[in-house]
Amino acid sequence: MSSLFATLDVAIGALGAEQGALDTTSNNVANVNTPGYSREEPVLVENPPIVLGPLTFGSGVSLQKVQSVRDPILQLRIDGETQQQGALNAFVTGMQQAQVQFNSTSGGDIGSEISNFFSSLGQLSTNPTSLSQRQAVLTAAGNLAQSFNNTADALIQQQTNVNLNVEQDVQQINTLTGQIAQLNSQISALQNVGEDASSFVDQRDLAIGQLSNLIDVSQIQTENGLTLTTSNGTPLVAGNQSFALSTQPNAAGMQQIYSQQGVNITGTLTSGDLEGQLQVRDEAIPELLSNLDTLAAGLATALNTTNQAGFDLNGNAGGNLFVPPPAGVTGAAAGMAVAITDPSLIAASSDGSPGSNGNVNVLSAVQNQVIANGQNASDYYSNIVFNVGNEVSNSSAELSSAQLTLQQLQNQRGSISGVSLDEEAANLIQYQQAYEAAARVVDTVSQMLDTVINMGATP
Amino acid sequence: MSAIRVNPYPLPGLLASLQTTEQQIQNDLSQLATGRSINEPSDNPTGAAELTQNLAQISQVDTFQRSMSSVNGELSTADSTLNSVTTALQRAISLGVEGANGPLSDSDRASIATELQGIQSQLISLANTSYQGQYIFAGTAQVQPFVADPSQTSGVRYDGNTGTNSVAIGNGYSLQVNLPGSQIFNGPGAGVFQAVNDLINALQANSGIGSAVNEVNTAYNYVDAQRVFYGNGMNQITDQTNNLNTEQVELSSQQNTIAQADLPSVISNFTTAETGREATLGAIGQTSQMNLFNFLPPP
Repeated sequence: MSSLFATLDVAIGALGAEQGALDTTSNNVANVNTPGYSREEPVLVENPPIVLGPLTFGSGVSLQKVQSVRDPILQLRIDGETQQQGALNAFVTGMQQAQVQFNSTSGGDIGSEISNFFSSLGQLSTNPTSLSQRQAVLTAAGNLAQSFNNTADALIQQQTNVNLNVEQDVQQINTLTGQIAQLNSQISALQNVGEDASSFVDQRDLAIGQLSNLIDVSQIQTENGLTLTTSNGTPLVAGNQSFALSTQPNAAGMQQIYSQQGVNITGTLTSGDLEGQLQVRDEAIPELLSNLDTLAAGLATALNTTNQAGFDLNGNAGGNLFVPPPAGVTGAAAGMAVAITDPSLIAASSDGSPGSNGNVNVLSAVQNQVIANGQNASDYYSNIVFNVGNEVSNSSAELSSAQLTLQQLQNQRGSISGVSLDEEAANLIQYQQAYEAAARVVDTVSQMLDTVINMGATP
Repeated sequence: MSAIRVNPYPLPGLLASLQTTEQQIQNDLSQLATGRSINEPSDNPTGAAELTQNLAQISQVDTFQRSMSSVNGELSTADSTLNSVTTALQRAISLGVEGANGPLSDSDRASIATELQGIQSQLISLANTSYQGQYIFAGTAQVQPFVADPSQTSGVRYDGNTGTNSVAIGNGYSLQVNLPGSQIFNGPGAGVFQAVNDLINALQANSGIGSAVNEVNTAYNYVDAQRVFYGNGMNQITDQTNNLNTEQVELSSQQNTIAQADLPSVISNFTTAETGREATLGAIGQTSQMNLFNFLPPP
């Protein structure tokens, strides 16, 4: 036989449970725009029944816990894709700025200056004694050297900027790993006493997402919380401890990345913005620069050799037209310069007579001469243009597809963890009505208790 | 409650697709603005490389064209100069014939000789013709090639050399642009100046005039034959100019094929992208305007 007070208990328990469920809805609605928030669900369970002889009475409802709706595996895939996207994005951005230097349609690039220089030699060939034609050749040679200087300088500047980005990335990584370690300790403190750590887990997922954009992260869930390492095993976070990375410039001034254990991990990164920056800084730009150096040195050397074989306007043997490129050619493009300022020193003559144009013709023929890699200057340059364009175009395509995949995954995450206002409104009605019903039960029991209390008191 | 839950936040996805569309629009716009399909190497790496080579080839053809026009000037100057030389020699021949045949007094012959001396000076001046500051009959020397010099039997000294220049007028195609003055004016048998000088001496001495006239005649024929060289050169330039014009047209059309924007299709893409953009914007505007909360009764 149940009692009115037992019924009252059930109703009051229901009021508490529904209010708790309403709280969850309210929190979901409040966080509808919070990045990284995973919606929460109240878990309502039946209380254990009371058995009285042949009768079994339910003893009401209780709010067991509030749980976040999340898919950890999906989160891992999102983080992985974010790393790919981070690397590609950094690479495309860096190389897009570099490729501006190789725009043949705007003129003033190395390709057009090579053409202009040989064109000026063609003109000189028709009038080898003309000082103005000779001056035109020197001017064109100066423009050619300048275009090599400008392109190489712009690439070096780009490399320096990327080098700064590397430093900033490392600082950001350290900030994030610090936050994650902090969150780890908050999460395990709550979980140790059996409490809900959802909001910290959400924040941690968000921070790991940001970290993934910067560097390749592997996640291992251990008893002591979450451990994060780079894919080659350099520890970033273990439980409540974070391991800061540091940077040290190498001899060339390029920041190298060291683990807290002092290991240089610069070459071991596989994805993330940092790796994309390093790829631009350490691979793509150096390769471009070295190709430019090869071209500049090849041209300067071939033209110098030819000029030395001829005779200048005064009948003397020719000297260098360009300052000889450094041995090993490194820096040839950035340092390219015309060696002479006196136009009469151009060795146009092949036999010492001032009106001879024999050697101009040989200088002109350098245009079709193999300079490097079995190619003449124009072909070699167009190959550089192809390579830089191809790198940007390929990585842009990869970036687009990575962005699509990421979008897809985030959509999927939204469909699982996102707050739907429709759903919350429906829940609100549902919980409100249940709450009102429970309140009505309390009211009814109260009237019944009145009836009991007033029993017999009525005259 | 078992229907598949959809993502309640379509906005990020819509914004991403809006961005893609806007990128497309940017790309189309830059193609429309420049008329080129390649505005940076990554637009079409192979095309960009071909374009670079194509521009180098066009520049080379331009250079050949410019060289030819300047060489042509030199050749035609030389040709017309030699024409004047032959005219002067014809006059010398007829003066010589007059001096040999007519019953002339000493003073008549002296005046013919004086006229011939004038012709000789004219010939020297013609042989010293220059084009754009360069003596065209000096070989590759940069000096006045013919100088009056009484110590020479011909009365004229050649200070030029025997060098010749060639100018590239095509890939692997070069044209010799001059003959040394010594070859033209000091030909075999009798040079121009020698012959005229001999005729003057013969008239003054009144002996051997006939053979001196023959000498001038030989010189005349020889100079006339040398003109073929220049005529030939001008013909080659005419032919090569035509060839290069054709090549230039081909290169330009190749350049258009590589780099010119296909405007009708760009415009159509642009319109499609614009429509897509408007549709996406419309969708974003509609999104989440309504949810169940709007329909809850007021408290």
